[in-house]
Amino acid sequence: MDYNAQLKLQAFLDGELPKAEASEMASLVTRDREAAALLEELRNTDKVLAGFEGGIELPESRDFFWSKVQREIQRLEAPAPKFAPASLLARWRRLLVPASALALVLVTVVVLIQPVGQFGRTSAADIETALADAGAFTYRDYEAGTTLVWLSYPADNEGAESDEMGTFE
Amino acid sequence: MTAKDNSSADDQTLVRAAQQGDMAAFEELVARHRDKIYARAYSMMRNEEEAIDLSQEAWVKGWQRLAQFQGDSSFGTWMTRIVINLCLDQLRKQKRQRTESIEAMDAESGGVERQMPVITVNPTAGLERGELRQRIDRALGQLSYEHRTVLVLHEFEEMEYKQIPKTMECSIGTVMSRLFYARRKLAALLADLKKLDSV
Amino acid sequence: MRAKLIAPTGLGWCAIVLALFAGGQFSTRAADMKLQAFLVWGTDDGKPPEGKTYKPVELDVRQKLKDLPLKWTNWFEVNRKDFSLAQSETKEVPISEKCQLNLTRFVRHEVEVTLIGKGKEVVKRKQSLPRGEMLVLGGNAPNSTAWLVVLKRLE
Repeated sequence: MDYNAQLKLQAFLDGELPKAEASEMASLVTRDREAAALLEELRNTDKVLAGFEGGIELPESRDFFWSKVQREIQRLEAPAPKFAPASLLARWRRLLVPASALALVLVTVVVLIQPVGQFGRTSAADIETALADAGAFTYRDYEAGTTLVWLSYPADNEGAESDEMGTFE
Repeated sequence: MTAKDNSSADDQTLVRAAQQGDMAAFEELVARHRDKIYARAYSMMRNEEEAIDLSQEAWVKGWQRLAQFQGDSSFGTWMTRIVINLCLDQLRKQKRQRTESIEAMDAESGGVERQMPVITVNPTAGLERGELRQRIDRALGQLSYEHRTVLVLHEFEEMEYKQIPKTMECSIGTVMSRLFYARRKLAALLADLKKLDSV
Repeated sequence: MRAKLIAPTGLGWCAIVLALFAGGQFSTRAADMKLQAFLVWGTDDGKPPEGKTYKPVELDVRQKLKDLPLKWTNWFEVNRKDFSLAQSETKEVPISEKCQLNLTRFVRHEVEVTLIGKGKEVVKRKQSLPRGEMLVLGGNAPNSTAWLVVLKRLE
């Protein structure tokens, strides 16, 4: 059987052929041993897969799983936290500074002030200034926008019994 | 409705109540269909943690979109479609290593499965249910995500050929090739596993 | 940084314009930065310890933690603080009885974060926190668990 015929046989099994072609395939299967064997194999595979998912259970209790779903729903539906609104004066100032004035500020800054020496500030995502912990390491996930700093605090030789962060007891 | 009422109510009644904001009714729907949604996610993702997270996300989306559920399909089917789309989004986002083996390339052009001998004996005959499920699980895990996805959509989700291309963003010809390859590959894997396990 | 001033010649009108339009201020005021700080407990147990009512962290935080090279499978929120940080502001944010975050905001998204544990500085770090960014400070806790302090910039 050529490949197209094999695909047609599959479509016949899946009930995807128009009536006339389906009859042709039905007839082929009675005459051609290879076709019959292939059809049988495809049918067995389908039988094997049927009900496979039926035995799979979510490995969390009803209450626990629901509490997570409910919490997420409530979080998404909660109104945004209120923050102190900008003062009236600040809002006025923003209104009174058109883009052209801002451009003038930039020009003035550039023209009037010439830095001597290095700025020392980069545009890198993160700069460590001081790490009290020599055993720490940093990991950055650029795609997710997450930075992990893993510390050896509390030190392995101290306070293994106590909860240094103070709230797990 | 009380919790007792909810447990005896049909899905339609629960959906209507949930659409009015009845969280307890929605909780009952979650309890009824959570295994099915999780199973679908697990079949696609092959990772328990990811499947749990995506199931959770699917339920949250289900709640948000309840107003859109018109009853054209069963509630369970509607929810599985949500989780399938989430899984597909996740699979596309993930950077998966794709081995450019000859077999992998042939899988698309329809070469390998032509040479596979037909499996004439049912490789799963005589197996207990649990053992069978384990074997299928292992075999599914060895398929590429494209082949596993088309199998899940066709065999578990019972999608017709014409429905799958839109979901998988490929042509109907590709769907048919992938499905054929996936089925034949699965049969071969199950036969091999039987041989290995009997040694 | 040392600066050299050049006497303006013909640019004095810039200063007048600035005075008129900006009310004497050079820079526009940046919006307050909205942040959340969480104290998180990491464990392989499916539930919090007996008597504790910690809840699992929210899905978006969980998904980000999952992508980090941390071995624990479950994350529970012990405490949370929502706050905002204005430009150049310094704020102390207690997140437990024994620890707090000291934050100072610099230009644009830069924030200096100092974690204080039992009165001592544990780590000081300058971090850029554009919208959606998350900083995770963590370490081991008793019984093969972990503590995290998560600082999240809100959208």
